[in-house]
Amino acid sequence: MKRIYLGALFLLHFVCDNHGFSQGFQVNFQGQRQQGMGLAGVAAPFDGSSLFFNPGSSVFLNQNSIVGGVTPVFGNVLFLDSATNASYRSNSPVGTPFSFYAMFQLKPAGKLKVGLSVNTPFGSTVQYEDNWIGRFALTRLELKAIFIQPTFAYRIADHIGIGGGFVISSGNVNLQKDIPVQDTNGVYGHAELAGKAIGFGYNIGIHFTPSKQLSIGLTYRSKVAMNLRDGEATFTAPSSLEDKFPATSFTGRLPLPSVTTLGFSYHPCSAFTVVLDINRVGWKVYDTLAFDYATNTSSLLDTKSPRMYKNILAFRLGMEVKPIKNLALRIGGGYGFSPVQSGYVTPETPDGIRIYGTFGVGYELSQKIRVDASVYYTKIKRSDTNLETNMSGTYTTIALATGLSISYKW
Amino acid sequence: MVKYTSFFKKTVFVCLFGITLISCKPKEKLLPNTLGEINLQQFVAIGDGNTAGYMDDALYLYGQQNSLGAILQTQLQLVGAGEIYLPLMGSANIGTNSSFLSKLILGWKTDCLGGIGLSPVRFAQQGEVASLTSSAYSPQNKFTNFGVPGLRMIDMVSTAFGNINLPQHNAFFARMSKDQFNLPGSGNYLSVQENIFDGGYPTFCSIYLGIEDVLPYARSGATQNPMSPLAGFPGVGFEESLTQLCGQLYSQNIKAVVGTIPDITKMPYFTTIPYNGLNLDAEKAASLNQIYGPLGFSFTVGSNSFMIEDPTAGAFGVRPMVEGELILLSVPLDSMKCHQYGSVYPLRDEFVLTIAELQEIRNQLLAYNQVIRQYSNFYGFAIAETADFYANLYDGFVYNGVTMSSKFVSGGAYSLDGIHLNPRGNALLANIFITAINKTYKSTIPLANALFYSSTYFP
Repeated sequence: MKRIYLGALFLLHFVCDNHGFSQGFQVNFQGQRQQGMGLAGVAAPFDGSSLFFNPGSSVFLNQNSIVGGVTPVFGNVLFLDSATNASYRSNSPVGTPFSFYAMFQLKPAGKLKVGLSVNTPFGSTVQYEDNWIGRFALTRLELKAIFIQPTFAYRIADHIGIGGGFVISSGNVNLQKDIPVQDTNGVYGHAELAGKAIGFGYNIGIHFTPSKQLSIGLTYRSKVAMNLRDGEATFTAPSSLEDKFPATSFTGRLPLPSVTTLGFSYHPCSAFTVVLDINRVGWKVYDTLAFDYATNTSSLLDTKSPRMYKNILAFRLGMEVKPIKNLALRIGGGYGFSPVQSGYVTPETPDGIRIYGTFGVGYELSQKIRVDASVYYTKIKRSDTNLETNMSGTYTTIALATGLSISYKW
Repeated sequence: MVKYTSFFKKTVFVCLFGITLISCKPKEKLLPNTLGEINLQQFVAIGDGNTAGYMDDALYLYGQQNSLGAILQTQLQLVGAGEIYLPLMGSANIGTNSSFLSKLILGWKTDCLGGIGLSPVRFAQQGEVASLTSSAYSPQNKFTNFGVPGLRMIDMVSTAFGNINLPQHNAFFARMSKDQFNLPGSGNYLSVQENIFDGGYPTFCSIYLGIEDVLPYARSGATQNPMSPLAGFPGVGFEESLTQLCGQLYSQNIKAVVGTIPDITKMPYFTTIPYNGLNLDAEKAASLNQIYGPLGFSFTVGSNSFMIEDPTAGAFGVRPMVEGELILLSVPLDSMKCHQYGSVYPLRDEFVLTIAELQEIRNQLLAYNQVIRQYSNFYGFAIAETADFYANLYDGFVYNGVTMSSKFVSGGAYSLDGIHLNPRGNALLANIFITAINKTYKSTIPLANALFYSSTYFP
């Protein structure tokens, strides 16, 4: 226990040292109970969602479980351009991260569990208003990744469970921007890069319960290198320049970072739980956004945009009370540094230090069926001058996510 | 069970209420745009073709509306400047230059080798001449833009400048001058300055003059149109003409932003054709070696310096160009491509600026800028360092994700004449003026969004 405490101190030290800034295009909506409690829950197994949060913890649940949930995200970005003192808004569509879990115990008392987790831990769709000042940097970006994770977990001792899963990630990328060449009507060219990507990784976790009241979880979700092959790049340009912007295939790579989480759950009585997760996200893998076109011309060169993300920490704290037997009320919050360094803030992920609050509610309709809902709210503000585009101003992002899940256990 | 359900309902209600309280869209909190120490009751932009919106080698309505003067005033309007009144040409797009040619557009052109490529071509057979012979003057709406294509610093007080009967007359000015229709011989033609001060003094001015005191000389390859001397009375010397103008403004308590003069030799008109662009195969190199060998010049396969006339170069007055020397865009390109112009036949002096000529021009610009800075400081005017802007453009920079450079046609900031800026370039230049105003007069006038203004149109 003391050691862990020291470990936490060390982590804090690491934060201060790095002047770290939250979370890039990571999406943390994979379970309604955890969402209600500040997105924490690595050490607090609950239902099938533990297959994702900590496979090792799933063996501490004496149940078979099927869970389905969805969390519509309403995100709005406002960019205030400092030089022109004018602002522009995003009109992004509602994001719909979802999760589905199926967990089965093969031995009595749940010593061995198998399961399947399907969810969307990374993704982002951002679209900016027409003719905005950053149109030549980005007009729309859609990133989608669905993680499919078959999982095994085993309780190796009374107090220790381990688990792991293999991750297959299937994704889509669609990036659009205007090209600064005008035809005789003054209409600008446009570029659209679209492709499918696939990547592989794993998710392992260990769950330890030193006492009835305390649980500790440690998990590692590996990075997933999403490789984009045979993407399609299409361009519109003035007719005299069409041969400079040929339709071509392209390849690219988008690394999704590893996530290491140390989590605690304190459970002094059956009606009260406190959870704390400390996340380390290995964003450093995202150093460049590169596109390699099959056909190059003097106007269409391979691009390498520096992103220079850095590893970050995030802290998540939450609690749950059960005023009555069937009802759970949850509240939580978190603080995450930003992986985006000064000089590298882009319209695709105008990220900054992220402070958020959540609350949630769960209700057991019967022994077998329960409903959980959550609300998440954050406001992120980030001022920067991008070194590549020289866009200079302040991004203010507000995201409201309201989630609902239904689970069935037996 | 009934009790439980009502508690659940209450909780849901409280949650929903909470959601409606927090806003989902960030609020727009713009900074206040403030005037600072300037008075914008009557703004006037004073300058040459850049201020007027001369671009693509012509003055035309669309260019005027996207001129340095107009864009500057559009931004000043955010802190209270009045309506923009321009001596508008009749046609949006035809325009005319002083040789009655229409504006340039990017079009397809077949060169002497039969190659078809994009090139600046005239938009129409003839310029919009009618606008040069009809007055744009209106006594009700005083022009807020006294940009006159070709206006030199030393022309500000010239009473011949608008006199249609004299050789010094400038048709672009004549059409906007108050007395365009004075009878020949009546003698009383107002100068540009008198026109500006007519009907009440302005309260704030932008002044961007001096390019035309040098440019015609440079454009002639330093063969004619001598540069304005620094010394001399107002109307003759640059310095006295400047101080006379500044003094007048100061005495009327008029505040101003004054632009320094850029190094015009960094404009695409002078930098597009490389001095060593003579590409030779073995056969051509050998034949040139035969011709020039006796003079001591040799040619190699690949890139070579063009040959130019230079009276100071030995007995034959011919030599290869050296690095740093410039070929003007006025050079007959087809002759260079197909008729050995620049190799067997050396380029004439009028198409070339030699090191010595460039030195002379740049020294003059330095001298002008020195007095511009000196007197602007003396009178407390804001100084817009346009020279830095043009130098940055020459090196290239990225503006909100768009690369801007002084590359001819594709650079994005210069119009197709390679000298005057296009609307986007004018907006970027206007921002230099605004930055200077904000700094000196403690105002917070927002800069223009240059991407809102057009660049070169491609067919």
